[in-house]
Order: sequence, then C-alpha cells, then structure tokens
Amino acid sequence: MGIVKIFYKDDCPMCPSAKNLQKSLKENNVGVESYNVGTAEGLAEATFYGVMALPTVVIEDEMENSLGEWRGNVPKMEEVLNVVHGS
Amino acid sequence: METTDINLFVRTSEETISDWNRSRITDALIRETYIDYDTANEISKEVERMIWKSEVKMVTAPLIRELVNAKLIERGLENERKKHTRLGMPMYDVDSLILHPNKENANVPHGPEATNLTLAENIKKEYALLSVFSQDVADAHMNGDIHLHDLGFIDRPYCSGQSLEYIKKFGLNLPHSLSMAKPAKHPEVLLAHLVKFAAALQSNFAGAIGWDAINIFFAPYLEGMSDGDVKQLAQMLIFEFSQQAVARGGQAIFSDINLYWEIPKHFVDTPAIGPSGQFTGKTYGEYEKEAQRFVWKLFEVFKEGDGAGRPFFFPKPLVHITEKFFKTDGYMDFLNHISDVASDKGNTYFVFDRGETAKISECCRLSFKLEAHDLLDAKQPWRMRYCALQNVSINLPRVAYLAHGDDTKLLSLLTEKFVLTVKAHKEKRSFLEKLLSLGEDGPLSLLTMNRDGMPYLRFNLASHLVGMVGLNEMVQIHTGEEMHESKKALKFGLKIIAHMNLITEKIRTQDGMKIVLEQTPAESTSYRFAKLDLHHFSPASGRIVKGDISTGEVYYTNSTHLNVKTHMNPIERVTNEGIFHPLIEAGSISHVWLGESQPTKEAIADFVIKTFKYTSNDQIAFSPEFTICNKCGKTSRGLHEICPSSTCNSPDVDGITRITGYFTKISAWNKGKLGELKDRYRNAEFFGGQKKAVNE
Repeated sequence: MGIVKIFYKDDCPMCPSAKNLQKSLKENNVGVESYNVGTAEGLAEATFYGVMALPTVVIEDEMENSLGEWRGNVPKMEEVLNVVHGS
Repeated sequence: METTDINLFVRTSEETISDWNRSRITDALIRETYIDYDTANEISKEVERMIWKSEVKMVTAPLIRELVNAKLIERGLENERKKHTRLGMPMYDVDSLILHPNKENANVPHGPEATNLTLAENIKKEYALLSVFSQDVADAHMNGDIHLHDLGFIDRPYCSGQSLEYIKKFGLNLPHSLSMAKPAKHPEVLLAHLVKFAAALQSNFAGAIGWDAINIFFAPYLEGMSDGDVKQLAQMLIFEFSQQAVARGGQAIFSDINLYWEIPKHFVDTPAIGPSGQFTGKTYGEYEKEAQRFVWKLFEVFKEGDGAGRPFFFPKPLVHITEKFFKTDGYMDFLNHISDVASDKGNTYFVFDRGETAKISECCRLSFKLEAHDLLDAKQPWRMRYCALQNVSINLPRVAYLAHGDDTKLLSLLTEKFVLTVKAHKEKRSFLEKLLSLGEDGPLSLLTMNRDGMPYLRFNLASHLVGMVGLNEMVQIHTGEEMHESKKALKFGLKIIAHMNLITEKIRTQDGMKIVLEQTPAESTSYRFAKLDLHHFSPASGRIVKGDISTGEVYYTNSTHLNVKTHMNPIERVTNEGIFHPLIEAGSISHVWLGESQPTKEAIADFVIKTFKYTSNDQIAFSPEFTICNKCGKTSRGLHEICPSSTCNSPDVDGITRITGYFTKISAWNKGKLGELKDRYRNAEFFGGQKKAVNE
C-alpha cells in the first residue's frame, strides 16, 4: 500500500482542496504525510522531491519508489485511491 | 615644567622632525575623540611626564599615540581609545609581507604591487572592524562565528555583473579620466574599451567582474569578418584578460564571460547596437550565426591554451545551457566542442538555466536571477547592471558544537548568527551609501556616473550575500553521520538550508533588503574556521575537521558540498549536491575533479545532458590537474614532483588546478586548500585514466 505526501503552503489558492483531499484520505485509512513549505521541515522535504509548484501530491511505495505524482494540481480522490491500492 | 623646557624631538607621521609640543596631544584628543579639554590636557601632561622621566631624546608619533591610548584605558575611556587608535602593521609583519607571498588569495602574485595591495588591505581591514562594523559584528568575525569577506576592500561593493552594451552605447567616458572615447567603430577598439572598463571596475569592486552574453553583444561588429579575423579577435579577448597582471595589485581581473549558443528568449527581440553606438535596425535574434561563430572561436582558443599550452586562468567562460539550447541547430557539435575543452583544459563552466530562468553568473558561482523588471531591462541591456554589496559566511559547524545535539537550540543559534550577518550587511550598506552620496567627487565616482538617467551602480537592486561553510560537518556533529552516509543526514542538511532560505524571505519582506544565500567560494574561510574551531572546540573538533591535523592542513567542507574524499559516482554527487541548489538563490556549483583522467568529449557531453535533464544542479565544472615544467616548458597531465618528460626530470615544476572557482598555481594555495587537494576523489574509476602531455 502506498503512502501519500502532500505539499502545500498557507497562502496558495489551490492548497485548500489539497487539505480536503488529505482529510478524505485519512477517513479512508490511507497513510498521508503533509508538508507545509513555509516551514524548514516542509521546504526541505519539498526540495528533496523537486517540488516547484503547489500543491503537489506524491505517492510512494514502502521502498520510497514513486507510484504517481500531481504537480501544481490536486487529483480526484478516486485517482489517488487507484494508485494507492493498485500498488 | 613647561613644554618649551623639554629638549625632545618627535618624528611625525608627515615625515618631519618637530620640537616637542604637548598641546598637540590635547588638540588631537579633542579633535578625534570629543573628550573635554580638562581631561585631554591632564592626559597630555601625564604623557609628557612619562616621556620626560624616560630621558629619551627622540620619540615617534605612533609611540606618543600609544602612550595616550594607555592613559585613556586607565580612565576607562574605551570608546575614546578606539577612536584615537592608530592603524598599521608591526615592522616584523611588513618585513615578512615584503619577502613572502600572500596565501590568503591565490590570485594575488608576489611583487611590490601585491605588497602595496596587501598593506592597504590590512589597514582597511582594521578600519572596517573598528569603524564600519559594530563591536558584536566585529567580534563575531574575529572569533570565527561568521566571516566578513573582503574586509580589506571595505570601501567598495563586492562584485558586479553587466553587459557590453553600456560601453557600446556610451563609449568610454569615465569620471576624472584624462580623455573620453566615443562608442567604438571597430571590434578591436570595442575590445580595448571592454578591457579598460573591466580594469576600472576592478578598482571599484572587491571581487569578480562578470559580462553577460558577450558573444551575442559582440556579434553586430563581426559581420563581414573572415573566420580568421574572428579567431584573432577571440584570441585577443582571452589573452587581454588573462595577462592583466598589471592591474590592481598585480592581480589578474577576476573576469567571467557569460556565453550562449542560442540567443536567449529575453534578447531575441532586443534592438541590436552596432558600430558607433548606433542601432543596426536588426534585433539580436538576427545575429545568432555571428554570435555562434564568435563563441566557437573563443573555445578554439581555450582549447589551444596559452603560448605554452597551459590552460588560461581568466577569463572564465560560463556557457548557459537552456531549454532552447537543445532546440538550436548545431547544439550537439557545440556541446562536444566545449566538452572537449572541459576535458582537456577544464575551462568550461556549464550553467543550467532550466524552465524560464535567466541568469547572469559571476564570481565563481554567484548568479543574479533575472526577475520581471530585469527582463524588461533586457530590451535596453545597457541598463542590466547588478551587484552584490558584501558577502558574509556563517561557520555552521560552530553552531553545531554549541547546540550539543539539541535541534531547537541548533536552529535558534543559527537564526541568531544569521541575524548578525544581516546586521553586518546593514552596516556595510550604510557605509557605502555614505561614500556614494559624495557623487562624482567622492571615492566611488565611477559607480555614481550617470549616463542613462541613473547611477552606474543601481543601489536599490543590490544583493547582500549570506554564505555557509561546513554544512557537512555541521550535520556530522549533530547527527553523527556525514551527508553522503544516509538519506536522513542529507535531509537534515536540507532542513538547515531550508531554514536559512526562509529567513532570507522573511528579512526581504520585513526590511526590504535583498538578502540571498550563496555558496561561498571560501578559499581561505573553510581553513580559517576549521583552525579556529580546533582551538576552541577541542577535542570534539579534532574528530570533525577534514584534512591532516599533524601538518595543520585542515579545512571544513565547502558550503553544502559533500565530503570531497568520498568515493562516489560523480553523477550521484552532482545529483545529491544539486538537491540543495534550488534553495541557494545566488548560485551554486558542483565540482567534478578529474586529476589525470581525460574523459572523451562525448562522455562529458553526455554527463552534461544528464545533469541538465535529471538533476536540479545549477552549475558544474570539470577540473583536470597539470604540471608545468619551468625548465623544459612542457605541460603534463596530473600533478608530479618532477617533470615527467624522460629527457628533463627537472624538479623545478609548478602544479596547476582549480582552487575554488578558478585555476591557479598550487604553490600559492593556503594550507587548508592543500589539505583538501590531497583528499579530493578524482573519479578515475568513472572516467578512466588516459595520460598524455597536453602540449605534446
């Protein structure tokens, strides 16, 4: 099962929908880690993943191999679930 | 006793011998320190008594001043003593300076001009620490918490980037010069103007002088010239810059020339300026072929090397690789051509401008990213003049020693040091503002000249650089692992730089100052910090500093680089070091040390393409090593104790390789850099080890 990483910032226009996605995924028992790029921890992680646009959603397997990513937009819940469960 | 009773002579600082006159002490104290007359008069009497009792017949002005200073200290007048202090050097140090070379900057040769430069630098350093900076900033520099770069050049900004267009349009019309030259009609004259202007700029900036898109801006002058003549011009340009050892302090001008194969998007529609400063009626987009012809010839000259086949130290060619580069005809041939030079001579710097980024690079790795208003200026490129006012680096391992493994304390101490660097920037900025306010009659008249409705130095756009030294060792002290040892350690390093990046943004918003992170070249700073920490944080620091403690050849790993000694695939190094680069706005670089290896041009070109496409690395350079024989003149690949030529074998040889952001003779390196040189992993397993004499 994949883990979802969501990168956001407090003042980005599309980021509230990323936060909604995070909430819905948690309700569906999907592992989610969220990173605010306005913090050192979040910016460091975003830089590590080469995040250049916000929000960004990255899905990885347990070995940290990339399973899917959406940069600068927010995927639909079903799209994420397909990738997470398909892994 | 009255002054007139004393039979005493004083050697004054005006090179005269005068009779003793006590009132001069009183006058100087009141003039220089603003203390009251009674105190000044009392001090002068005490000093007079002291001298009279000693029964000397001749005293010097410096001795009297120091005696007065001692009296000020006795009264607790510390600030007054500082104001009254005399700047200068002990006889022993001057003697040593005149006899021995300067090791702090390998770009300073040894000679009377260089000695003048160093003497002046030493006095200005003292002046800066006593008069320009506040006590806490000066103390932080002195004890090695931070390093204020180029203190000896306190009365000038740090570095400058501009385009040829300024002298193409306005000619060479400098304040207080004996003659003015109209805009050049011929390419050779334009070149002469360029070199003279560069020398004038070197006298007004501490560090590098960068030239943007130089092959593009020369292009309108090249129409109708034969290939042979273009090559001749390329040769003149490189030799003129590399042989400027008659400039400031005998120091070659630290020159960077930025080059493009394509015409970058922001210059395509820019009206071109041609001979006599007139618009040609065409845009630079229409001069692509001429610009390409010139840059090709420049690299032919770099490939040939100097008269003895050695690599040129300056100018440094920085080739910008953009998305458009790969869509421009002939790019692969050109990439192979410059890769050939990179492998053979090491000159080429590959600068990666991905996406919409446009940059001017200079001073080893400093680059100015062009923002929206800059891109508007690109329509009138003579306006594109950028500078950094100062560079201050933070000793990162020091912060980790003090934090004792506590994350919160580490970040809080780092913030504290960062705030201090910002204070240092404000103080230097304020000092320069004062000098610039004197206009064309002031010391920085060149920078205030106004030919296009604004001063040459666009102060409002100036950057203030904050560098970092020893991130790798900071992570090692704090986590127990170096950054190449685990992903966790690498990510912790990223967190530190992310923290610094966020502070720059905050200060920019709060104070309106353009504070940017830069990978400091730290030619001597990485040695200085390591040496100071060995003294203050022993025994812990003894396990951390790199190099050889027994010989004193110690250093911290530069900026955010990974341990230079680690055997690591160069692609992996460039990838992992490149992860940091987006956080360091003012520029970064990764070095690929080649040693004796001489990869094929195709291997280098492939490496460059992969770096552009699959990493976030900002800039790479390949560094071969050479031995030049002063007896037979042969230049050989690799570093050797004796000339490797079987018919020579002379021990009179010099090693040459890249120290930080430029090539130079190893004999001029400081101990820290010598330690690093011994440790450098030279990638022989990756690139193979072909050996040959480069001028055979």
